[in-house]
Amino acid sequence: MRDEIEKFLFREARLLDERRFEEWMNLFAEDGYYWVPAAPGLEDPYDGVSIFFDDRAVMKTRLQRLDHTRIHSQKPASRTVHTVSNVEIDGDYGAVGEILVRSAVTMLEYRLEKQTAFAGRCRHLLRIAEGGGFEIAWKRVDLINCDGVFETLSVPF
Amino acid sequence: MTVRDERALRDLVKSDRVHRDFYTSPDVFDLEMERIFARAWLLVGHDSQVPNPGDFVTTTLCRHPVIMSRHRDGRVHVMFNRCSHRGAQICTEPRGNAKRFECPYHGWVYDTDGRHAGAPYPARYADGFLKAGGFDLAAVPRLAIYRGFVFASLGAEGPGLDDFLGPMKSHIDAMVDRAPGGEVEASAGAFRYRFGANWKIQMENQNDLYHPMFTHASTTARDGTQFRRHGAEDDEAGRVRLLKENEALNEQWEELPVGGHRYGHTYMGMFPMNKGQSGPVHERYRAAMEARYGDRAERAMAVRFHNSIFYPQWSIQYLTQHIRLMNPVSVDCTENVIIPLRLKGAPEEMWRAALRSNNNSHSPAGMVMSDDMEVWVRCQNALTSPGNDWVVFARGASEEQADNRGSFEVRGTSEANARHQHRAWLGYMCGEA
Ligand code: FES
Ligand SMILES: [Fe+2]
Repeated sequence: MRDEIEKFLFREARLLDERRFEEWMNLFAEDGYYWVPAAPGLEDPYDGVSIFFDDRAVMKTRLQRLDHTRIHSQKPASRTVHTVSNVEIDGDYGAVGEILVRSAVTMLEYRLEKQTAFAGRCRHLLRIAEGGGFEIAWKRVDLINCDGVFETLSVPF
Repeated sequence: MTVRDERALRDLVKSDRVHRDFYTSPDVFDLEMERIFARAWLLVGHDSQVPNPGDFVTTTLCRHPVIMSRHRDGRVHVMFNRCSHRGAQICTEPRGNAKRFECPYHGWVYDTDGRHAGAPYPARYADGFLKAGGFDLAAVPRLAIYRGFVFASLGAEGPGLDDFLGPMKSHIDAMVDRAPGGEVEASAGAFRYRFGANWKIQMENQNDLYHPMFTHASTTARDGTQFRRHGAEDDEAGRVRLLKENEALNEQWEELPVGGHRYGHTYMGMFPMNKGQSGPVHERYRAAMEARYGDRAERAMAVRFHNSIFYPQWSIQYLTQHIRLMNPVSVDCTENVIIPLRLKGAPEEMWRAALRSNNNSHSPAGMVMSDDMEVWVRCQNALTSPGNDWVVFARGASEEQADNRGSFEVRGTSEANARHQHRAWLGYMCGEA
């Protein structure tokens, strides 16, 4: 199981690095969401502002935009490396067929002569999909600088 | 020639253009801090950020660290975050609740209204030295609150808040009156970001109707609509139509009122939407508004402006429901704080929609903000190059004629609002404001 879960997470990271955003989105369940709170310790996405709080509909708008020919903030496009580590698996969380996976993520981003580092704790709630494999019920990334001062962000963590 | 010379200042600003030094000269920036930012009323925040006695937030006001706190008598105070002993910054928590503020260096303590409340081991001070006073935390020279909006002025002199806001008071009302409870609340925290461009570039951008269809082209769908900005229940409500089907400018944009008032304040009318709000949540909202306002409910509910800019430092965005503080950091760096506002007494669903709208458009990853920041930085970067000294603001040149109170209104993609800001800038810088 651990092996499959790690493979899943590593592939997810690679999809983002290769800017295969639609494939990345399709890792999420239809009712899935991606959440990056803008404050530490938020319990509920409606308790405060979020850097990303995307259901599939918002995700689709955002990711189509990343492929748009006139997205100025991605000209040139960001190059990123996402590194996923410290994977811990908690099969006792949530419903049957759901697995909570904790990990650490770092993203290095290079764009316009500038390299920026991001790091955070990451939680995926994975569901075992019908035909085997996993889908993401939700993914939450708690950046260590979540309530800090940012410059423009484009690529999900 | 120095920028302190009035002629040199006037040479930077022509009726339909400004010199690139306006954005790139560190001397100009220093003088702006003195003559504009130390005279105008600046927004510190909203008093709902400190709802209870002892609550405080720390922030910066025009590069100076300040504390906004609520004292046990209920009053809000804004004071410099600097110990009266040897100058240490007293408080570094972004927010919290305190009985007293204690300096980390030698333990001097201050009450939550800034009053000096003691120094450890006072015996080595001369008799009566500490009692003689003068050791309270320095308060901002002037403080005023209007409908929960906390203003400070860094100068003891200058227009009073009433005079400074003038007709812009009604632009604060236009936001607050939409709340059935008659108040807004800053209860969701804030986004903070910084970008490498002069503060005036953002000022000129916010009422610029000429840019959305280009700068924000990547958020425009094929049918010419932008993603949903807001709307509690109806997917279409809140979609902004930037273009017609054939990718031409949607002429409705040329109909939008844009205008300004004294001291460089400007505003822009509400975007043409596909349709207004409807549905059960909206009906509950209407009922709550009618309960409070009676037949004035319709007017109070109307979202009349897209945004209003309170020159030189903050703005309200109405549909998205936030205030934006724009604090200059240096000649080529500005820091924004975006604070969403909850309409007290409105249905929870509306708040959720507004919050999500803020996340989508105005987070650091926001689909609107990231485009804007990109073009502002590109302006700043390119304006340092020689070869073309002028930046052109000639759309609808000289069509704005201010009335005897200094107000004007024109329409559409005119650059009148930026020109109005430039004239106000000259007024401040040449000591007329
Ligand atoms: S500097 Fe604050 S107590 Fe000495
Ligand atoms: Fe914009």
